[in-house]
Amino acid sequence: MSKRHRIKLILVTNLLLVLSGCSSWGVAPWDRDLLAKPEMALNSSPLDQSIDDHIYFSKEASSGGRSFAGGGCGCN
Amino acid sequence: MQLNKQAKKIRDNNQLGEKLALAAAALLGTTAHAQSNDAEWNFSTSALGYSESDRVSAAELIFTADKAYGDAALLNLKVVLDSLTGASANGAIEQNSIQTFTRPSGKGRYAIDPNTTPLDDTFKDTRVQINASWSDNFRPDLRYTIGGNISKEYDYQSLSVNGEIAREFNQKNSTLSLGVSFASDQVSPEGDIPLAFSSMVVDQGQFANEGAYWDAFNATRIENSDSITTSELLVGWTQIVNRRMLMQFNYGYANTNGYLSDPFKVLSVVDSTGTTQDLVYENRPDSRAQHSLFALTKYHLDKSIFDISYRFITDDWDINSHTIDTHWRFLGDNNSYWEPHFRLYQQGAAEFYQPFLSQAEAVPGLASADYRLGDMTAFTVGLKYGFQLDGGDRAEIRLEYYKQTPNEANQPDGIAGLENLELYPEVDALILQFNYYF
Amino acid sequence: MLKKIAILLLVFPMLIANARANEEIPTIDISQFNGKVVYLDFWASWCVPCRKSFPWMNKIRQQYSDDQLVIIAVNLDKKRELADSFLKEYPATFDIYYDPKSLLAKKYQIKGMPSSIIFNKNGKPVFAHTGFFLDKIEQYEAEINKLISASK
Repeated sequence: MSKRHRIKLILVTNLLLVLSGCSSWGVAPWDRDLLAKPEMALNSSPLDQSIDDHIYFSKEASSGGRSFAGGGCGCN
Repeated sequence: MQLNKQAKKIRDNNQLGEKLALAAAALLGTTAHAQSNDAEWNFSTSALGYSESDRVSAAELIFTADKAYGDAALLNLKVVLDSLTGASANGAIEQNSIQTFTRPSGKGRYAIDPNTTPLDDTFKDTRVQINASWSDNFRPDLRYTIGGNISKEYDYQSLSVNGEIAREFNQKNSTLSLGVSFASDQVSPEGDIPLAFSSMVVDQGQFANEGAYWDAFNATRIENSDSITTSELLVGWTQIVNRRMLMQFNYGYANTNGYLSDPFKVLSVVDSTGTTQDLVYENRPDSRAQHSLFALTKYHLDKSIFDISYRFITDDWDINSHTIDTHWRFLGDNNSYWEPHFRLYQQGAAEFYQPFLSQAEAVPGLASADYRLGDMTAFTVGLKYGFQLDGGDRAEIRLEYYKQTPNEANQPDGIAGLENLELYPEVDALILQFNYYF
Repeated sequence: MLKKIAILLLVFPMLIANARANEEIPTIDISQFNGKVVYLDFWASWCVPCRKSFPWMNKIRQQYSDDQLVIIAVNLDKKRELADSFLKEYPATFDIYYDPKSLLAKKYQIKGMPSSIIFNKNGKPVFAHTGFFLDKIEQYEAEINKLISASK
């Protein structure tokens, strides 16, 4: 095998290993017991969040950046 | 119509099923749960007290109501009432002698003691805000949300709409979300909008009569109201890492246009000895473009839940900020918990931030002495306690301390005469909050 | 030679993985219900739509006799107390099978929570559903009815 081909093979193999690693990120549907808890929601304290946003918007120059979709029990 | 027929049929069938389930439950000695196709309302309320030492105090009341409809739809309503009183810095620097300022309305003046940061205490405001949002699934893996907000106080009004779409991948382990929002605000300050860099007219006996004073005052006013529009885009990726861990990454872009200055703020124009010769109204750019990057991690340990987030914001006013925010919730018996909180914030000054202007130099195109645009570091420490009451309702109490310190090393150079004056005061505040869920 | 070693290195872990998977086969044997339709449901205390699926499963439990329909709800909670407190609030008139190690869930490769599989009278899985939806109840009932009405 030429040097170029060998390098290509190594790069592709590495990429595939990394990607297959990515698909192992996450959990099976039946393992979402902890993630389903309300405290594990991305926005678990919406009242506190809106109060904090309001205070820091009034006292500091930068504001924003958050959003809340994803996580949870994954049901339905 | 089809849906109604189905709903009626299910409800009729369920009557019988419900009765049997109840009978079975009675036999088993357990309490049955009545099935309804419509969920009940969930409410939450919050009462907040905010108090800065010597400055602004605020009280806020929030009320929310949520209801689920059908399989996945959710209606969310929120009302906020807040009231501010107290004194806020007007942008001028302190002096060795008494200073007199005109109130924003032009009606009356106030005097500030020597060696005291000038604060304007005419500032009293009550605000009402209403939010509503509706979300539902297009498909099990595709969800949309639309919402609207209205906010009104006597000199400011805001109207905004927002929408979001979220798509799930990898057996709902990953979520991609895209949100946009548009806001249109109207500012109508008491005393009207001042002309940028015009001098504050202070009646110190130099006017022949009141009419002459008002002529001079009105000459510094340009219009009674102006508008501000904001557009925002937010792109987010949420990833479940493992059974205990969740991460979120957001990129945000916000663009604001219109009257972005603070109509109540001035800058002191000082001579070479540091003595104030004039007070001029500030001038900020009429647009602002901001980029933000946000990352959050939540981790569920055995008896506690930890989260930490980092946010970086940069904009074309040259303000760069870093925020680290972390909570650690220790879970106790009966759904009770203790949650310490720590937040660290650091911001670089806006390009046009000037604590004061020098008489020797030409008037710049843009300038503001609002300490909130300066180089500063702020931290928050807090503790929250949550518990469940006998009926199933929940309550929370939160106490926080916030302190903001200007980064003196990075401030613009001072002038000899100002060395013994406090140009960059600290601000600290105490926050007490009660939440109740029922 | 190098090629042969590479192939062995790639295949060997797969053989091991497979071997491990064959060890712990869970113990519900659908063939014991031959002649009856089986509704196999996978649920957990933290699954919100399960609060709606339980009253419905109670309803179809009383609609068909034990000779026609078998309902087994497989619980996937890791702690029994969590399943117990759910059942206190949402009592079941059908059978509950406890699978805290999720072996059955893995065997049937369920794709989401809750999940259900409907087996015909010959023990063959004919219908499978991921999630429980109120506006699909008519469809679920039609499927059960179809399999029960069918001759063997």
